[in-house]
Amino acid sequence: MADTSHGTGGLTFDKSKRSWPNELNILLALVIIIAIFEIIGQVAPYMNGQSFLFDTKDRFDSIFNEARLQIIILQVAIIGIIALGVTQVIITAGIDLSSGPLVAATAMIAMSFGQTELVNGFPNPKALFGTWAMDLPVIVPVVIGLAFGACIGAINGTFIAYFRIPPFIATLGMFLICRGIALWWSGGNPISFPTESYAWIGSGMMPVVWFIILAIIFQLIMSYTVYGKHTYAIGSNEEAARMSGINVRRHKVMVYTIAAMLAAFAGIVLSSKAVTAQAGMGEFYELFAIAMAVIGGISLQGGRGSIIGTVLGAMVLGVIRSGFTYIKLDGSYQLMAMGGIIIAAVILDQYRQRNKA
Amino acid sequence: MKKTLLATGLTMLMATSPMMATSAMAQEIGATFSRFDDNWLTVLRNGMEEYAGTIDGLSYQQEDATDDLAKQIDQVKNFVAQGVDAIIVNIVDTSAGAAVSAAAGDVPLVYVNREPDNVNELPPTQAFVASNEIESGTLSAFEVCKNLRAAGLGNGARGYLMNGQLSNQAAVQRSKDVYDVIGMDMCNFMEIIDEQTANWSRDEAQDLMTNWMSSGEPFDFVLANNDEMAIGAIQAMKANGMDMADVQVGGVDASQDALLAMAAGDYDVTVFQDSVGQGTGSIDAALKLIAGEDVDQKVYIPFVLVTPANMGDFLDKN
Repeated sequence: MADTSHGTGGLTFDKSKRSWPNELNILLALVIIIAIFEIIGQVAPYMNGQSFLFDTKDRFDSIFNEARLQIIILQVAIIGIIALGVTQVIITAGIDLSSGPLVAATAMIAMSFGQTELVNGFPNPKALFGTWAMDLPVIVPVVIGLAFGACIGAINGTFIAYFRIPPFIATLGMFLICRGIALWWSGGNPISFPTESYAWIGSGMMPVVWFIILAIIFQLIMSYTVYGKHTYAIGSNEEAARMSGINVRRHKVMVYTIAAMLAAFAGIVLSSKAVTAQAGMGEFYELFAIAMAVIGGISLQGGRGSIIGTVLGAMVLGVIRSGFTYIKLDGSYQLMAMGGIIIAAVILDQYRQRNKA
Repeated sequence: MKKTLLATGLTMLMATSPMMATSAMAQEIGATFSRFDDNWLTVLRNGMEEYAGTIDGLSYQQEDATDDLAKQIDQVKNFVAQGVDAIIVNIVDTSAGAAVSAAAGDVPLVYVNREPDNVNELPPTQAFVASNEIESGTLSAFEVCKNLRAAGLGNGARGYLMNGQLSNQAAVQRSKDVYDVIGMDMCNFMEIIDEQTANWSRDEAQDLMTNWMSSGEPFDFVLANNDEMAIGAIQAMKANGMDMADVQVGGVDASQDALLAMAAGDYDVTVFQDSVGQGTGSIDAALKLIAGEDVDQKVYIPFVLVTPANMGDFLDKN
């Protein structure tokens, strides 16, 4: 486990008063939630004694219901990739609301360079450009998509760091701009039927593979590199960070750019997974990404939190979503319960901070 | 489009009195749609824009109500204030017909695609052109029922139902249609294991279907409120190694993506909604209302069932 001593408002933090790392608490919550679903499955008469996590029908080699384990993480992997970036932004005491629409805009733009010319022998009915943009190597749409994300992120960061616009407002503006771009790009028409290599990016469990690889990379970056240390330092005390010689403005632009590139990559993976790009994609993704970070123990005041925490936060949301479908809970109750859980997570975390710190 | 605007502008300038601007030479129609990013509505919207461009002297403008009724009513009022000759509304909330109709005042108004609740009490300056939503879900579910019977499952078939956005009237109606079909003697062998929303969206439907399949419960059919969700379900089932010949999948829309899935043998039943018929019908009705001619106040454009047998007729339609 990496050193978690960075942040938390500088002096008030005393590691010796902490019984165990924050991440263990989230893991504990995860186990409790799974246990609750397991009990409901055994007790509720309409469930016929089904198990949430275990293989009761002898369908798999292991004792677990592997299909459930896969979907739990698969369904949060794409938002999870966004959350990795949002985590870094929140650690600098910022916020990024533009990621959901950025996912949609990037999906549209990247997919339009990733289309294939013939679909089961029919000409592609959703072709946006002429044949010159068809069947391009997969690197083309990916690079275009990431470059677009980098531009949006750099603009976000520049407005926030150099023009002193509050992050909430700057990224709210970008939220609307990106939704507009997503709609304008193809006039609201879906863009479908990508090349095989483009469709591979998000096929099967690939979203999970990307999520895990990126999570490991950024956990290492945040713990062991100057980039990571500076990010925590800025979030803990921006003035002090500036005094100690950190180029705060340039660093912020970098953080927002990286976050937007992660969201853009999520858009590429999403469009590949769905095998279509649509302007309405990614609705509420920015909020769920923030929720994952918050459940994962990140403070919106900045300076505290970790990538591992966010990954666990994502797992909590994944378990809840899967569990609700498992106990056949109606969609409207699902939203209410999920909202309640997010708020409860923060209350618990704050309570714990007060007692420990 | 630019030319039309220019022509309109010139006519307005040359007009000696304000009355001239509303003459047959320069007509202005404003349209508001419930969502710009809805797939089927985009087909409708683009078709209408194209058709409007072919009519001399017609200036046509469209706005996005982003599923917000209050915003849509404001847009109608803005059109009235701007002095348009007619308004076309794809209503956000079908139970708010009275409010939208009142907002238009004396300006001719045509409802397109969605049926407002006041359709039988429309003033003479207003009309309605759409398909009857009750048909769509019913056609789709009934065909699936017949296919299941033909496959020898008439003694009992179990399946899942995917709802569109829960706040959307079409979604609610289409799901109700499914239950109405199951309520019939001929189809009461069908049982819904669970129903959940996937918000019209393909990727949410993929995840939902995978969640359902993770319980390992056997099933024979999946009914979805639209094609996108049906395609998502199909993708998830195929990823899970299921043979699509063993499952009946029904949806609504007959989108291009859906027809190609049908051509590949994965998709069984969908329903075609005539965007061209609705779009041109509504603009024609608006022009007639402006000219003060008699119009049919209630025009229903029928839904058409699409199966592998007749899918070829629809490949370039939506």
